[in-house]
Amino acid sequence: MNASGHRMGGASWLDRAALAAVAGALALAFLTPPEATQGNVARLFYLHVPSVSVAYMAFALALVASVGYLVSRRMAFDHLAVAAAEVGVVFTGFTILAGMIWAKPTWGVYWTWSARLTLTAIMLFVYIGYLALRRAIEDPQARARRAAIYGIVSVVQIPVVHFSVVWWRDIHQLGTVANPTGIQMDGILLVAFFAGLVAFTLVAAALVTRRYALAVLEAGVHDAAARGAGALAGDAVEAPRIGARAGEEHG
Amino acid sequence: MSREAGGGFAQTLAIARRDLLREQRVGEVAWITIPFGAIAVLLVPLAVGTDLPTLTRIGPGLYWAVVLLFGVFIAVRKTAAETPAQRDLISLLGLDPVAGFFGRAAASSILLLGFELVVGAVAVALYNIDLARWPWMILVVPGAAIGLALLGTLAASITANLSTGPALVPFLVAPLAVPLLLAATQAMDSLRPGDSILPWVLLMVAADLALAIAGVLTARPLQETR
Repeated sequence: MNASGHRMGGASWLDRAALAAVAGALALAFLTPPEATQGNVARLFYLHVPSVSVAYMAFALALVASVGYLVSRRMAFDHLAVAAAEVGVVFTGFTILAGMIWAKPTWGVYWTWSARLTLTAIMLFVYIGYLALRRAIEDPQARARRAAIYGIVSVVQIPVVHFSVVWWRDIHQLGTVANPTGIQMDGILLVAFFAGLVAFTLVAAALVTRRYALAVLEAGVHDAAARGAGALAGDAVEAPRIGARAGEEHG
Repeated sequence: MSREAGGGFAQTLAIARRDLLREQRVGEVAWITIPFGAIAVLLVPLAVGTDLPTLTRIGPGLYWAVVLLFGVFIAVRKTAAETPAQRDLISLLGLDPVAGFFGRAAASSILLLGFELVVGAVAVALYNIDLARWPWMILVVPGAAIGLALLGTLAASITANLSTGPALVPFLVAPLAVPLLLAATQAMDSLRPGDSILPWVLLMVAADLALAIAGVLTARPLQETR
């Protein structure tokens, strides 16, 4: 525990739960039968789809935290927003990477100009921009306010990305689970998918918790530095004790 | 700028007039940004090939990419920047932040429209772009100018006074301008007989409205940070 009451070292119960869930999800992913046409490579589905779902959740959390900050002006919401946005960026990057690895054997190329792929990449850059904006502002209050506003404006991308496969029909398949005609999976495949979703959600929750604690520590360091800035130059130099010396000489 | 000096609309006009007057005196957009965009339209064929039928086909897309990437510099032009002393004075005069936002966006819209028209004329001439059903462009071109100006003004407000602001604004604006870029390019593609341009015009109007609402909702919190 640090001074703020946030655990930084060692594994918390959430870390352990996330690790156990990942192990279980991986086991289930390999227990499922290979996909009829794509074979084993289709197992990437159990990483790719939960990953993007968690990225959406993280960005939604960043939105809620941004609104919370603007309403309450409590820095805790800002810490939560940055933690969620960073984790969302990581999972979006992982989604794109997993998708590209899946695309090569399936479509013959790592990248196609599918609306879903392109808009997901754009969503990644929107949130990298959000993080770049935060790095550019030193004052915590100004950073929190400006980032909250950009965080709220940025979120309009998420529904566009999600519904892009419905609005622009192309090589990217429609949603398998979130499909307008109902869930397109059954049996152990669906169990493996939800196990992956739970595992990724727990991993994201563990990462957000740790990043939040780090943001609290960073704020503490900033506050301490700001207080230290009030010290005068030359404070470290000890003033000569004239009176004491005079006393010694006369004593 | 106080209530006696006029309501929100009068304040919007006053700020827009001030920005346009500063631009008229300095000529940053007229002498730097517009020629820069025209050079981009001239240089692109040297990179992708000078085959005229190909340029005619991809020309509208290239034109809108140039408008998006270079037009954003209009929102962060030096003549639109305010010093801390100017901001303090305007605040003390009682300027409504929403009116200030729309005033700056209105000036940028007019300048962006000029940019689009000049660079568009260069693109039509160099790429031999066919402007069938061109009256529809009266909706598309100003719609894109307004949307990009609103987005650029919002981003410029968010990054005001930051040393990295001029570099950050294009990065913040470009990905969020995708609906505008899509609407503009698809609308031009739909100018062919038999295609409907209306859905793309509606997308642009929706994007412009969403950005205007975002500007209204964020003007006051942003003023606190300036």
